[in-house]
Amino acid sequence: MGATVLASQTAPVTADDRERFQALAEEHLDSLFRAALRLTRNRTRAEDLLQETFLRAWRSFHTFKPGTNARAWLYKILMNAYIDGYRKATREPEIVDHEDVDEFYLYTKVQESDDFRRAGDPEEVLLARLMDADVKGALDSLPDAFREVVILADIEGFSYKEIADLLGIPIGTVMSRLHRGRRQLQVKLWEYAKRAHYVSADKPPAGGGGR
Amino acid sequence: MTELDCEQVLQLVWKFLDGEMDETRYLEIQAHVAACAECGPRYQFQRRLLALVELKCREGPVPTELKRRLFRLLEE
Ligand SMILES: [Zn+2]
Repeated sequence: MGATVLASQTAPVTADDRERFQALAEEHLDSLFRAALRLTRNRTRAEDLLQETFLRAWRSFHTFKPGTNARAWLYKILMNAYIDGYRKATREPEIVDHEDVDEFYLYTKVQESDDFRRAGDPEEVLLARLMDADVKGALDSLPDAFREVVILADIEGFSYKEIADLLGIPIGTVMSRLHRGRRQLQVKLWEYAKRAHYVSADKPPAGGGGR
Repeated sequence: MTELDCEQVLQLVWKFLDGEMDETRYLEIQAHVAACAECGPRYQFQRRLLALVELKCREGPVPTELKRRLFRLLEE
């Protein structure tokens, strides 16, 4: 807080600052909101988190060096606001690593499934069956520490190094959480896919049968 | 650098897909998955899975009202 007060005394906000900040925010707001939605799993909280991020960014805009990575700067603020206000105080997560789960869990399950194999392109059928809500639900079910890295890598497209900087953790930790997160995601997706499959398998074939 | 066997290639598939790999290794894995009946389909599946996650988690733009509210904060 002291720094903010000092800064506003030494560098009064000009209309030009405001314009530059608006342009920057305009460019990144949609993707920040998407990240906030996935992080908080709740629309109202996502809106609050976005507002908090926006205000923090504006207050510290004088520390942003033009020409540096604006997206990384904004996401750092987002992640800090999220960690301060939205994440439960997490120590290293209690890991329930499924011993029998490998990196190719979902692929293997599809290959082993007679039902899916009957389809011409079982992998295609599986992936086509997964709805937006399934994927979001699977992601939402992951432990926070895994969820965060999966969101930053697989949805927001940050590199391992960038994620390490955003979360203040070593790159090795980013990789291990990402890989475990993706494994758990596949376990969850398989549950959804099976459910969707059995639901549709119970139905009579389209257009067939005199009922 | 020694040539990778299937097990090693499969272990590196995520890093490969994430683009977290030096160019020599990258090219080696690219050639391997293109030719190998064991690793190829697994690699293709993981690639589609990642694309699916990205696609299914897309969101529309920030609601106009929220955006208006945020930009109004700058006037204060
Ligand atoms: Zn192979």
